[in-house]
Amino acid sequence: MNLKDPESMNVVIGNVLRYGVLLSAAVILFGVVLFAAANGTSDSSTMLRYFPNQLPHGIFPVSYQSLVGGLVEFNAISWIQLGAIFLIATPVSRVLISVFLFAAEGDRLYIVITAVVLTLLLFSMLVTPFIPGFNA
Amino acid sequence: MIIFEFVLIIFLVSIFAGVFGSIVGLGGGVVIIPVLTLLLGVDIHFAIGASIVAIIGTSSGAASTYVKDKITNLRVGMFLELGSASGAIVGAAVAAYANSAALELVFGVILIASLVPTILKIGEEIPKSPELKGLSKRLSLKGSYPERDGKTIEYNTTRPAAGLIGTAVAGVLSGLLGIGGGAFKVLGMDLGMKLPMKVSTTTSNFMIGVTAAASAGIYFVRGDVNPLLVAPVALGILIGAAIGARILLRSRNRTVRLVFALVLAVTAVQMILGALGVTV
Repeated sequence: MNLKDPESMNVVIGNVLRYGVLLSAAVILFGVVLFAAANGTSDSSTMLRYFPNQLPHGIFPVSYQSLVGGLVEFNAISWIQLGAIFLIATPVSRVLISVFLFAAEGDRLYIVITAVVLTLLLFSMLVTPFIPGFNA
Repeated sequence: MIIFEFVLIIFLVSIFAGVFGSIVGLGGGVVIIPVLTLLLGVDIHFAIGASIVAIIGTSSGAASTYVKDKITNLRVGMFLELGSASGAIVGAAVAAYANSAALELVFGVILIASLVPTILKIGEEIPKSPELKGLSKRLSLKGSYPERDGKTIEYNTTRPAAGLIGTAVAGVLSGLLGIGGGAFKVLGMDLGMKLPMKVSTTTSNFMIGVTAAASAGIYFVRGDVNPLLVAPVALGILIGAAIGARILLRSRNRTVRLVFALVLAVTAVQMILGALGVTV
């Protein structure tokens, strides 16, 4: 594919989005199968209890360690969380790849615009959750 | 057994939300949040966390089709994301000090007011293309898209600042409340920049995933993204978005605007009720 051809941008971005959602859906579905195997039809409504005065607010863990540990142990919750992370990462990868696609087209103005969007996006996703006073 | 029916209802409602959300360029939270909170008794925080996932799913799921079929205007989308991405950070920064109820009331009223020009444009198929000049020309904010009959419609845009204000407001709302931004994106492009309706809704659909992803980190860290809800919401919404994208390709601009006006009215009422303390 010739990346200088403006039409190739539509194809590449379309594919990034398509494969991102398919991967995410497959991982979530795998988590659902694990969940059904582990819990059957037993009542799991304790999962829906919300604790306003503790962090995290749910009874399911959200740390990096618990996620990795859970994946290794084929924990259903961890696999569903991984699928959600893939879903969240899909638009981010789309912005990242757009920077390179505009670079291939030689469109300097849009390289800058897209790089600024990417920087703001990563700052907002990864940094602001840990700045005291933000998101309070 | 309670869990099976619970998950099945969420899955089916999410398919429905994905179909509508992908056609009008919004995330589907307008459908999912009230069903989760009012019908199923889920805590509003978990409902908003699920809605963030729904928005990202609607966006990426439908945009893969819209982008390949060249209805989405990629440059307009990338440029306007400057507004939503900075707005999301501002929203997160002022969340501790802002009066969310007052903001919801203000923006709800703005949405009600914007129903008037939207309804006045009902029946319009292709807007009269403005002359391309100034910043719009510098940013190449023009394009073309294939219509249902195979004809290619060429269009220009105007007033990029109006579009940018729309997406900045959407970003602030998303950072503050997690919801309600998509309508402002469509309005900015439709009423402000004079894009054809389907280009406005599909370009909004393209952007809402990035706006929601900007706020997703905090919801995840807080533990508001509940896996028991995420699984049926994500799978349902992706199926719905794929169906909705196919419907939009065969729809007229005027039909899309009509559906958008209805969803706009519901969103506005929800925001105003939310401001008055009624959680829907």
